[in-house]
Amino acid sequence: MATATASPIRTLTPVLFPTVEFAIFFPIVLALSWALMPRQQVWKPFIVVASYVFYAAADPRFCLLLAAITLVSQLAVVAIHRTEDERLRKWFTAGGVVFDLGILAVFKYYGFFVSDVSDVLNSIGLGMPLPLVTIALPVGVSFFSFQAVTYVVDVKRRQTEPASLLDAAIYLSFFPHLVAGPIVRASEFLPQLKTPRDPDRVAVGAGLTLIALGLIKKVMIADYLAREVVDKVFAVPQAYSAPDAILGAYAYAAQIFCDFSGYTDMAIGLALLMGFVFPQNFNSPYRATGFRDFWRRWHMTLSRFLRDYLYIPLGGNRKGRVRTYVNLMLTMALGGLWHGAAWNFVAWGAYQGTGLSAEHAIDGRLGRIFPGWLRWFVTFNLIVLGWILFRSTDLTVFGDYMSALVRSGPATLYSVPVVGAIALVVGLQLLPERPMEGIELRIGRLRPLLLGAALALVVLIVGATVPSQGVPPFIYFRF
Amino acid sequence: MPETPEKFETIAEMEAEARPGREGEPHGDDSLMGRFDRWGLRRFSGWDAVKAVALTTFLLLIFAGGSIRAAADELKPGLGRDIVKAIGEPAGWVADQLPFAGTRRDLTSWLSPNQELSGRGFRAGPGGAGRPAHPVPTTPQPLDRLLVTGDSLSTPLDIQIARKLADQGAGVQVTRDPHLATGISNTGLVDWGQLSSSQAANDDPDAVVLFIGANEGYSMPGPNGAQVSCCGPAWEAIFESRVGQMMDNYLNGGVERIYWLTIPTQRDPARKPIADDVNQAIRQAAASRGAAVRVIDLIPTFTPGDTYRDSIDIDGKQTIVRESDGIHLNEDGSSVAADLVLGALAKDFNY
Repeated sequence: MATATASPIRTLTPVLFPTVEFAIFFPIVLALSWALMPRQQVWKPFIVVASYVFYAAADPRFCLLLAAITLVSQLAVVAIHRTEDERLRKWFTAGGVVFDLGILAVFKYYGFFVSDVSDVLNSIGLGMPLPLVTIALPVGVSFFSFQAVTYVVDVKRRQTEPASLLDAAIYLSFFPHLVAGPIVRASEFLPQLKTPRDPDRVAVGAGLTLIALGLIKKVMIADYLAREVVDKVFAVPQAYSAPDAILGAYAYAAQIFCDFSGYTDMAIGLALLMGFVFPQNFNSPYRATGFRDFWRRWHMTLSRFLRDYLYIPLGGNRKGRVRTYVNLMLTMALGGLWHGAAWNFVAWGAYQGTGLSAEHAIDGRLGRIFPGWLRWFVTFNLIVLGWILFRSTDLTVFGDYMSALVRSGPATLYSVPVVGAIALVVGLQLLPERPMEGIELRIGRLRPLLLGAALALVVLIVGATVPSQGVPPFIYFRF
Repeated sequence: MPETPEKFETIAEMEAEARPGREGEPHGDDSLMGRFDRWGLRRFSGWDAVKAVALTTFLLLIFAGGSIRAAADELKPGLGRDIVKAIGEPAGWVADQLPFAGTRRDLTSWLSPNQELSGRGFRAGPGGAGRPAHPVPTTPQPLDRLLVTGDSLSTPLDIQIARKLADQGAGVQVTRDPHLATGISNTGLVDWGQLSSSQAANDDPDAVVLFIGANEGYSMPGPNGAQVSCCGPAWEAIFESRVGQMMDNYLNGGVERIYWLTIPTQRDPARKPIADDVNQAIRQAAASRGAAVRVIDLIPTFTPGDTYRDSIDIDGKQTIVRESDGIHLNEDGSSVAADLVLGALAKDFNY
């Protein structure tokens, strides 16, 4: 095997949970964390340093960005808290939010603006010359900038108290949620920093179970479906016909659920082992019987962010029917744009907004007219249709995919493991909740050492399914 | 942390109680923060968590310590790699002394998605200059099967080529086979000497498009076995030898023509010596194999004057063609590169 010299340069990859680097990092940090927990004045700086080390693995320069967001948000929060003048409080809030979202705008949307949006502006004579440069997207910026916004706004709304700078730094940088959420509210996390975590009340079983489950979802199901079906069909939809295009759409629905909820499971599990609780992010989304129900179950922490910090401030449903639809469309279109700087995400958001508006318009009547299974069937397939828009790299590919859906031809990608994996992912979500929770609880009661050995077994089995080039990044890392 | 009354026995029941926060009031528990306090969830100590994770780590070390050692070789140089290596070397040694790693491989190898590579890997030796050029047909032949491969540079080029051919209704079967993070100078992840032979045998392509070179610069064993560091004539000669062996593997495996793309200038000046040696080696190896290997030089198109730029003029409009890493081509750039490849293919094949 060749050995590296001082100069070879490899493509940068952030530290992922299922990597050797993280497998070395986490046991050390976990042990030190519990050792230092009783001495909060030492534990807090330690956990900030550990989180910044974790983040620096992606690119050390981005640590400055994280620190800047932390400092400016903290300055805004302190200023808001110190004055009772509502006008000033609004200005300080606006300053903090504009800075947090400004960082997001520059790093995530600059390229989109100078290429796509400027074309539109040029066509109506409003163009402005901007330098055509590429800007690297800092991993996790979409998540920690939103968390910073919740901190500033919640203090302004008097829903949470300002924290110390150190606590704010931990809140924004805590490594289990740093790069892909869940989007934890300040009011959920900061109280957990007020006192040391109780060393005798740690949900070890639940934590280890979630880590194992997340690994299986991400590596054994999501990556497998991507490799065998999704990447092939979405790369060149023109080369496939209806049977494969249909399979590709369902496979992507299963893939994106397992990819993102797998990451979330691992994040929640890791935090549990460290004594922290994160909000739930997924609750069997494919058992939803409507768009509203879906958004109560899918990426729940983003849904409530959009609701509390965008939809309700826009007026929500309090300003008449038409304004409600406008607010829903705007909220979901911007929510779509949050997923990526591309028109297909905007269109996907608008599609979701249309679904929510339509549901709002016929509120209550659907339940009386159609049975539950039919509402589930229609909802599920409309959600899957939306995922095609989401996964397509641009609207041309989406058009090609839609053509493939109606093109007759042979089925070339079907196999028992592929169909079985999709059926498993969807089917498990349709089972009654109580038995599933019972199984989880029973596993969570097992002795930690037994679960530790079981986790090792899961890692070894999952590791055997990893292709030679390693684990692909989580889908939501690029958001 | 908000306490959840025990009357909630299921998440659905808890969710029904959830509500958004109002001005001056705390948020409702719409995030189910109390779900782990449900009745019956057993609690342990923080040290139980540490012990459980330590046991997991210990078992992984004795069953898969060699994987840590191998992973270190794939990391970019720096503190992280040094730490992984410092742990991986002894862990690998321990795993080598015990029978567990072999048992694990025997029990789980059937799960691996990696294709079994057979045949000879890269060997030290001359680059092949002066050998007779491979004969090529004098008239364009039908193109039925095309392989597009390489490292991360080769995607989304492969997708663009496949889409354009599909749009033309050419009926060409395009096999896309990117091997991310691999390099010709580093056989840790994959030995391209073996892989090229396997691709020629398994995919049976009429033509191969290669775009590789994002992960080069590793030292390689020279003819006398000593490691030769990048960059310079000695390293370039070994690299040329390896490129030549790959070309021969494809051509001897039945491939009619190879289209090898050079690396356009990259943003980081530290990469330039590596890219220069890689590109020169490609040109030299191709030159000694005649018309069977065509070099598609991307520098004049993407980085004229060997000067890095993010954007180029496409149809009268400045367009960003590089990814933010300053290495890879983005979708638009890959589309331009795909047009260059298809233009070259059209001269040699009918499709």
